[in-house]
Amino acid sequence: MPYDTQADIPDETLLVLYANGDGAAARALTLRLTPRVFSHAFRMLGDRAEAEDVSQEALIRLWKIAPEWRQGEAKVTTWLYRVVANLCTDRLRKTRGVGLDSIAEPADDAKGPLETMQEKARLDALQAALATLPERQRQAVVLRHIEGLGNPEIAEVLEISVEAVESLTARGKRMLAKALAGQKEALGYSDD
Amino acid sequence: MMLDALFDVAKTDASAAPSSDFLARVLADAEAMQPDPTTQIADRTEDKPGLWNVLLKALGGWPSVAGLATAAAAGVWIGVVGSTSLMADGIGATLLSNGQDSFLSDLDANYAFLVE
Repeated sequence: MPYDTQADIPDETLLVLYANGDGAAARALTLRLTPRVFSHAFRMLGDRAEAEDVSQEALIRLWKIAPEWRQGEAKVTTWLYRVVANLCTDRLRKTRGVGLDSIAEPADDAKGPLETMQEKARLDALQAALATLPERQRQAVVLRHIEGLGNPEIAEVLEISVEAVESLTARGKRMLAKALAGQKEALGYSDD
Repeated sequence: MMLDALFDVAKTDASAAPSSDFLARVLADAEAMQPDPTTQIADRTEDKPGLWNVLLKALGGWPSVAGLATAAAAGVWIGVVGSTSLMADGIGATLLSNGQDSFLSDLDANYAFLVE
């Protein structure tokens, strides 16, 4: 569900409106782009505070570049994912082996306590398995399977060929399956 | 497959959503860094000075233009008032020196000297 009321206006148009001083465009872009940027940064870094820093930095760069944005060259989201990917890479290189204890509690009260606990266990397991992947594989797998981007767009984000993206995601998925293989029963997937 | 099921859970994961505080912070950045449309318009008008402003600047501003206007008015006044009085005082005759007896008043209608 879109977070803003201008869902039918493309990001690029909103960015031009933003550069022209339109306050509604600033709100729409914030509500539309922040969840995507934050989600990706969080999957990459496994830490909310770090993900917030990276997302804020990426969006500040977008606000700065808005007046000079050249239409038709790149999608706003592709450009943003690339900035986030690079910022995450920098962070990961500086602080190798970030602990996974800092993952925040899911704020979903609609589910029962057992269901919530199991979902949290599944998310923690996935996050822990993702953290074992080499950084580029993790980027590709998260963008493809969680953010739902197509391979050509991921290729643009990571600045590699589509074939290289396919190879990265395939290897990443194999490694994830291996890392999670021993936890099938614990995660409630014993019946498949 | 377990992996695909885990990805589906992750897609709807509330813990990967930004908090409202964080959204407010990002929006504050966006608003603080947004170009101001009123200054953009002001800049544009300052870029285009009018013809009179260019002329005024080229002449050295209002004080120079006032001096020029005074000099022009004085010139016109001298031209009008002095044209007859100078002739009446005989200044015109003294200008024709070296004992010549010819006067400007000796000129006939065809501007030729009359016979002495």
